[in-house]
Amino acid sequence: MRYIFNFPDIGEGLEEGTILKWYVTKGQAIKAGQALVNMETDKIVTDIPSPKAGIIVTIYGKEGETIRVGSPLVEIEIEGVLGDAAVAVANEPVKKVIPEEEGAAGVVGTMELAGKSAILPASDEGPSTLQQEVKPAAKVQATPLARAMARDMNIDINTISGTGPSGRVSKEDVQNFKSPKRSSERVQSNGSAAVYASGESVTYEPLTQIRKAIARNMLNSKQSTAHMTLFEEVEISELMSIREKLKKPFSDKNTKLTYLPFIVKATVQALKLHRQLNSQIDWENERMIYNNRYNIAIAVDTPEGLVVPVIKDADRLSILEIAQKITELSDKARDRKLSLDDMKEGTFTLTNYGSIGGIYATPVINYPQAAILGIGRILKKPVVKEDQVVAGNVLPLSLSVDHRIVDGGEASRFINQILEYLSDPVLMMME
Amino acid sequence: MEYDLIIIGAGPAGYVAAIRAGQVGLKTAIVEKEYIGGMCMNWGCIPTKALLESAKVFNKVKVAEEFGIDGIDLKKLSFNWEKAKARSNRITRKLIGGVSHLLKENGIEIISGTARLGSDHSIYVDDKKIRAKNIIIATGSKPKAMDKMLSNAPIVEMEKLFELDSIPENVIVTGNHVSSVEMAQFFNLIGKKVTLIANSDFFMVGLDEYLISTVTEKLKTDNIDLILNVYPEKFENSELHIGGFKIKCDLLVNCNSRKAIFPESEIPLELTERGFLKTSDTFETNIKGVFAIGDVSGKSFVAHVASAQGIHIVNYIKGIKGNFDSTTYPINMYTIPEMSQIGMTEQAIKDVGIEYKISEFPLSVNGKAMIEGNTEGFIRMISDKKYGQILGIQIVAANATDMIAEAGAFMNLEATIYDVAKTIHAHPTVSEIYMEASFDAVEKAIHH
Repeated sequence: MRYIFNFPDIGEGLEEGTILKWYVTKGQAIKAGQALVNMETDKIVTDIPSPKAGIIVTIYGKEGETIRVGSPLVEIEIEGVLGDAAVAVANEPVKKVIPEEEGAAGVVGTMELAGKSAILPASDEGPSTLQQEVKPAAKVQATPLARAMARDMNIDINTISGTGPSGRVSKEDVQNFKSPKRSSERVQSNGSAAVYASGESVTYEPLTQIRKAIARNMLNSKQSTAHMTLFEEVEISELMSIREKLKKPFSDKNTKLTYLPFIVKATVQALKLHRQLNSQIDWENERMIYNNRYNIAIAVDTPEGLVVPVIKDADRLSILEIAQKITELSDKARDRKLSLDDMKEGTFTLTNYGSIGGIYATPVINYPQAAILGIGRILKKPVVKEDQVVAGNVLPLSLSVDHRIVDGGEASRFINQILEYLSDPVLMMME
Repeated sequence: MEYDLIIIGAGPAGYVAAIRAGQVGLKTAIVEKEYIGGMCMNWGCIPTKALLESAKVFNKVKVAEEFGIDGIDLKKLSFNWEKAKARSNRITRKLIGGVSHLLKENGIEIISGTARLGSDHSIYVDDKKIRAKNIIIATGSKPKAMDKMLSNAPIVEMEKLFELDSIPENVIVTGNHVSSVEMAQFFNLIGKKVTLIANSDFFMVGLDEYLISTVTEKLKTDNIDLILNVYPEKFENSELHIGGFKIKCDLLVNCNSRKAIFPESEIPLELTERGFLKTSDTFETNIKGVFAIGDVSGKSFVAHVASAQGIHIVNYIKGIKGNFDSTTYPINMYTIPEMSQIGMTEQAIKDVGIEYKISEFPLSVNGKAMIEGNTEGFIRMISDKKYGQILGIQIVAANATDMIAEAGAFMNLEATIYDVAKTIHAHPTVSEIYMEASFDAVEKAIHH
């Protein structure tokens, strides 16, 4: 009995993924839960485990090809199941395929695969290629001639935009259609940029899934919110001396202590006093959603692009635990092993561009969150202390808020709170 | 007074454009020197078809006995020109009234008089000056005048035909187009001796050769003399001297090919080689914002295309852009039987080198045609071999001019011969011949 396993939506409305590596070959026996393929989606790189035990009969898509969610990935000959029983098996939801161990190849935490993502072919002869075509929900309007021509020219008519009444595709539209590069025409890819044409002055490279996601999210944020940014400075000599003192005991516990855990702590405590900053607007239902959890997302720079893992319930963590969590998440980010779970449910974001360079910025809000705090590079600057100009250690902060949600006064009060905590870290630790 | 749009000429190009302009909110005036409805309603499409219909009834009554109707004395049967004319007038009056009403209802100002184009987008009507952002010239056409040597001949143009009290015995119709053939057949149907003469050997240019030979055959069986490629020499003793013939002639009907009627213009209007207003793809003349549609532009000479151009150009002025398909429209001939064609002719298809297939089906085996006693005719569908796209259709049938509308829909929607074959046609209807012919193309006709 054949079982067709379709590329599942592994969360948050994925549309497509790129095959980075096949772990299986045709004819190979596999167990349920065993990794089939390594896929790059717009959020993560992850292994897709097999939902069934059996023998791989067909593999769809080559490495470097983009597969749409719901399209077939593999066909598996299910052993020992026949007829109706097989249908039942295939239709039963595939629950909780849990990878054996954290750090192993598979990092998909939980996958709930609905029965709809699995199709059984009508007969044992295997599906016809036609049945497997992924069709958009709505059939495009086209003239009969345009359909015949598109079929003949091997063009998916649904990809042609029509110029006729109500967007109907006509003969002329088919003739004028220039087929986009098909994914199979792309040169092999290991997630690295595949160069498929280079002119004299420019090099063309396909967009990676992660770049597509970043572009979409950034634009969405800028278009959906009213950005306003506030700049502040805080003298942190006291925080520096505390960090110096704690460095040793932390490194004994294999943890590098940076300023970031303190800033996370200060932010969480300020958020508790200013809930507008830990909220989002629910426009459709005309209401506010205030988060009772303090999940701090941290922007991490990786060679492939920006990723934003989340420290969940940061309010319940000590400085040490926060530091450990930061190390863990940045390591995963660097190794492209972040799971979707690692990146979900953030309520407020920190971006620490100062670790690379930069004093002030106008950070883009991680939509639909209400605000983002940018951390600049610590500067040696003259400051006035007790009417004396002395050398100070100044941390520049840039707070972008969604002005629809957060008024200027509230934003100022919030950042003042953070300044207070950072300039007087003992107070922060006490609270 | 400044308008968004002034239209010169209230024929099927101008009045349709005006109504559309009113609908989309353009402040519009239409200038007409004589007849609302133009040639179409006053002495063209409508009245001539009304006359032809009277002639068809006259003809049909002659076979009433065949249909089981007694009591008709064929010896007493006669065609009453005055009554037929009166019926035609009633129809045209009603339609013209309707158009005038629609113009008013859509807020169009109707200005009576002759328009003259000033510079700076102005129009003078009897020395009154008005201005408009856009101007549409839709002044139409008229037949070329007959040679001066024939000034003593009883010449009548269609415009004046309806003023005649009676139709004499010997009629000569000039011209080489659809309307010439229609008029020739009309006079023939009401019992006159008719000769059709054309001063070129181009006859029915634009029609498929198969249709042309059908028409030629029909004229022969109807006893209408057809003389091509001749010029009338003189008129003497009630005879027209032409190409060595002397033809008895009591009435010479001028259905010559047409020439444009221009408004006077301070800025010279550019013309085509054939003497029509030169226009761009968007129907704009050499003066920006001045458009020309209908016969005066020489792009087509049928009312339905002129009206479509009118709607198209008002949309264009309103910023609603679209392509104007000038190829897919029916050419109708309201003869017995009617003839109609749409799309490409077989010759044109050959010229562009498309591989094609012709599917035919005769009316002689169609049930409804037999019932109606109109078994003369056929359908001829030309489709391309590769995809089965319908390229052209010709129909000869009693109601061919209505039946062709289905072909128009098929062609506009880029249907293939397979789509026609799949379309269930009611039984019994003459239109079943579409289905039968397409079956023939796909595989095999059922009833043939």
